[in-house]
Amino acid sequence: MITIRLIILIVLGLGAIWFGWRVFMTSSMVRSAFSLLANMAILGMMFLVMRAEFLAVLQIMMMATEMSIMAIFMMMYMMDPGGMGDMDMSHQKKTSIALALLAGVAVILIVGFSQWDAIAENVPTTAQQNYDLGMELMKRSMMIFETAGTSILVAMIAAAASALPFKNRKK
Amino acid sequence: MMWILILVLFFFSIYAISVVEHWSVYRRWDFLHPFSAFAFSFTQEDIKPRMHDKTFLQTAPILFIVAAVLSVGVLPFAKDFILVRIGTAALFINAALAYIMVSMVLAGWAPNGLYSMIGGWRFLGQLIAYSMPIVMAITSTVMRAESMNMTEIVESQYDLWNIIYQPLGFILFYLASLALAFLPPFDIPNSTGELSGGIFSEYTGKRLLVFRIGRLILIFSLALATANLFLGGWYGPYLPGFVWIFLKTGAVAISYFFAGRLMPRLRHDHTLEWSWKYGTPLALTNILWVGILLLL
Repeated sequence: MITIRLIILIVLGLGAIWFGWRVFMTSSMVRSAFSLLANMAILGMMFLVMRAEFLAVLQIMMMATEMSIMAIFMMMYMMDPGGMGDMDMSHQKKTSIALALLAGVAVILIVGFSQWDAIAENVPTTAQQNYDLGMELMKRSMMIFETAGTSILVAMIAAAASALPFKNRKK
Repeated sequence: MMWILILVLFFFSIYAISVVEHWSVYRRWDFLHPFSAFAFSFTQEDIKPRMHDKTFLQTAPILFIVAAVLSVGVLPFAKDFILVRIGTAALFINAALAYIMVSMVLAGWAPNGLYSMIGGWRFLGQLIAYSMPIVMAITSTVMRAESMNMTEIVESQYDLWNIIYQPLGFILFYLASLALAFLPPFDIPNSTGELSGGIFSEYTGKRLLVFRIGRLILIFSLALATANLFLGGWYGPYLPGFVWIFLKTGAVAISYFFAGRLMPRLRHDHTLEWSWKYGTPLALTNILWVGILLLL
C-alpha cells in the first residue's frame, strides 16, 4: 500500500514540476497563472495521498481563488497579457540555470543526508487531525498567525486607502 | 438497489430542473424540450473560433462538469448513502465550487472573443464576492455540528433545522447559490442582451452541451447542499430519508427559478458591492450569532 502511495506521490511530484516549468515557459499570462494553479492543486493532491485531508482540501480550494485573482491582475498589469507579442518571461538565462542547478543539487543533498523518521503506518482520523491542527493554531502558533493575519489586513487596508481618490489630490 | 433508485431520481431531478428552467425563460411547459435540446446540441456543427486557446477550450467544459459532479459526490442522498465519504466534506464542497470559477474563467478566455472574455472576468468578480457568504454560511453549520462530516452536520439538525437556527446563514447561502450558478438575477456574466451570451457566446455543439448539463448538475448540487446544510437533510415524517432529500432538493432547485424572477437584476458593480459591503459582514454576524448560541 505504501509503495503504491509512493509511486502516486512521485508521479504527482513530476506533474507538479512540469506545470511549474510551464509557468515560465509560456508567453500567455493566463496560461502562466493557471499552470501555477495546476502545480498548486497537484501539491494539494500530494497532501491527499499523504492522508492530510484537511490541508489537502484547503490547499486545493484556496489556490483556485488565489490563482484566478492572480490571473486577472497579471492580465491588467502585464504589457503583453495574451502572449501575442512573443514576450519572453525568462531573462539572465545562464545565471538562472546555474542557480537552479545549484539549488537543485542542494535540495537533493539535504533530502539525501537528512535523518528521516520511519514512514507512519497509521495516521490519525480526519477529525482528530482537524482537532490537532486547531489546537496547534490556537495555542502555540497563535501569536505567529495572529501577527501574520493582522499584517495582511493592515496591508490590504493600506492598499485600498492609497487607491482612494482623496479630495485634496483632485486639486 | 437503493443506489439505482437514487440514480434514477438524480437523473429525473436533472430533467425536471431543465424543464423548469425552460419554463422560466419561455413561460410554457415543454416536457420534451430537454431531449430535443440534447439532440440539437449533440448534432450541432462544432465551430471553433479563430486563434482560440486549444488547451483551455477543451479543458474548460470538462473541468466545469467534473467540479459540479465532485460537489454532488460528497453530499449525502440519505443516511449512509454518500458516494465519497470524506471527513472534510463541508470544505470539499467549497473546493469543488471554486473550480467552477476556474473553469468559467478558462471558458471565457479560451475562445479569443471579446464578449466571452468580459463574461469570464465578470464571473470571476462575482464568484469571488459571493464565495465569501457561501464559505461562511457553511462554516457556521460546521460550527454547530462541530464536524465537517456531512452526516454529522445533518444529524446536528435533528431537533432544529439550521434554517430556523441560523436563518441569516440560509438566506446568504441561498442568494450566493444563485450567484454561483449564474441564475437570474445574477446572470449578468452570461447576459444575452448585452454580451450576447457572455461566456457561452462562442461555444457550440458538444462543448456547450457539456456546459449546460454541468450547470444543471451544479444547480442540483447547490440545492442538495442547501437541503443537507439547512433543511435537515433526510429528517422528515412518514416518508423514507432519501425521498425527503429529493423532495427538499427539488423544492429548493425549483424555488431558484421562481425567486430569481422576483428579484431585481442589479448592475454588475452593485452586485459585487452588495456582497462585499453587506453579504460578507452579515455572514460574519451569522458566525457570531451561532457562536453565541453555542455558548449559551
